[in-house]
Amino acid sequence: MSRHEGLRRLLVVVSGAVLVIVAAGCVTHPIGAARTYDDYERKATTTAESARSAVATVRLLAEAAGDGNTFGPFAAVVVSEQEDALGGLRGTFASIQPPDDRAVELRDELTPILDDAFTGVGDVRIAVRRGDLEEAARRGDALSAVSAALDAVIEAHP
Amino acid sequence: MKRILGVFLGVLTAIGGFVDMGDLVANAATGARFGMNLAWVVVVGVIGIVVYAEMSGRVAAICQRPVFDLVRERLGPRFGIANLVASFAINMLTLTAEVAGVAIALSLVSSINYLLLVPFVAVLVWLVVWRMPFAIMERVFGILGLCLLVFAVTVWKIGPDWGDLWGQATSPHVPSQETPFTYAYFAIALFGAAMTPYEVFFFSSGAVEDGWTTRDLNENRANVLIGFPLGGLLSLAIMACAHLVLAPRDIGVDELSQVALPVASVVGKLGLAVALIGIFAATFGAALETSLSAGYIVAHYLGWPWGKHVEPRGAARFHVVVMLAIGAAMLIAITGVDPVKVTEYSIVLSAAALPLTYFPILVIANDPTYMGEDHVNSRFVNAIATVYLVILAVVAIWTIPLMIITKAGS
Repeated sequence: MSRHEGLRRLLVVVSGAVLVIVAAGCVTHPIGAARTYDDYERKATTTAESARSAVATVRLLAEAAGDGNTFGPFAAVVVSEQEDALGGLRGTFASIQPPDDRAVELRDELTPILDDAFTGVGDVRIAVRRGDLEEAARRGDALSAVSAALDAVIEAHP
Repeated sequence: MKRILGVFLGVLTAIGGFVDMGDLVANAATGARFGMNLAWVVVVGVIGIVVYAEMSGRVAAICQRPVFDLVRERLGPRFGIANLVASFAINMLTLTAEVAGVAIALSLVSSINYLLLVPFVAVLVWLVVWRMPFAIMERVFGILGLCLLVFAVTVWKIGPDWGDLWGQATSPHVPSQETPFTYAYFAIALFGAAMTPYEVFFFSSGAVEDGWTTRDLNENRANVLIGFPLGGLLSLAIMACAHLVLAPRDIGVDELSQVALPVASVVGKLGLAVALIGIFAATFGAALETSLSAGYIVAHYLGWPWGKHVEPRGAARFHVVVMLAIGAAMLIAITGVDPVKVTEYSIVLSAAALPLTYFPILVIANDPTYMGEDHVNSRFVNAIATVYLVILAVVAIWTIPLMIITKAGS
């Protein structure tokens, strides 16, 4: 194999690898299997952190909506995006096979919180889409319990 | 007077046009995760783009040909084709991100799913490229981009502890919850966002479109020396907004809408409206620039007639490439790929390919056969540019490994 041919093959391999990384990364909620408890715990914590971010976004938005600081369409899109994100997180986390009993316990701890987050954000979305921004602010306030629960999971599983 | 007004408008355009989807996302995401601890990267990136954009504008003004028209001639077809392939691929990613960004900006005011708006945006971009005169197109969206100043107003209204912000920016450290690898990865993302290759393709080709000559060298310097650093301040304001409003609430930036949320929260409806206009202008302006850049780089390599200063019939192949690039970006965007991820990958991969863009500029700007003895780089410029080439090489080597190690910064 000549030097040029080797270089060309290397370039093709590197370009292919970059393309695969980019394509895989651009898919929503890419996540692999968990083979050990530590692996599962790490994925659970990452999921909880992403869910906390989504819930906090909706709380901030609901607060701004209650103060008359946003437009209806903007609020509706922001909440829907976060609801979609939570739906994706919930589905992806549920699909990970727990490797042992401790992982099953962790699953049982986090899954209901994700369900509450999804439902609570859905409530805010309904209020926003109805144009009832004061109700949206109240529903947003109610999400503080979910945020606290997510904080607790993250702190317990650093 | 007309000349002063032209310089003034050029500077305003450069400020407003500095920020694009990549800057919006990278600065907000970084501010939310790292505070102002990566602000120094914006400064390093701005100095780099100032040095190389000035060089490419000077080359265009002296030679009446854009830099990449000269690359193949000066460095040969092999280097030219490597440059073309890498630049075109990254430019396509950037164009996709910008088209999606415009659609998202429109969806935030209409509440229509952004995927439905993508084809409309693609047609609109093509229509503006096809019909609007170059100078007007450049100025309108650049100046509308100044609406992003509302992020600076937001920071001022928050009334932060300026000493703390300055302290973070001047004594940067890796936050406790992050690793040196994620810190380095986001540094590369910010650097790539500030030095995106299409900015140079567009700046240099735009100089030819505007008919710059040696008399316009001062306008070139004013645009880059005043406009770009002030544009960099806009980037820092976006970063500071995310740090002050989103970070305390543990909000990470995964959506373009989250970038505008601090403005809504602090300034209110009017501020939000201005921010959304700014985001629309920034992404739309960048969509125009990247779609034109697609045509520019292909036409320059193949020696076709190009540009909006030529009648469309005379530059038909150039316009076909632009149209196909917009169409391809539209098709990629409507597959539902995450636009923020596409943006992140486009700026990080830009960083990996930066030497391919900037090395030829340095070579040509030092060649007296093109520049004449009076207009080649000074020793000072060469010293800075060489330091930057070393930085670019280090960044290029580390980009892909860091992307793998950090799972793209996650």
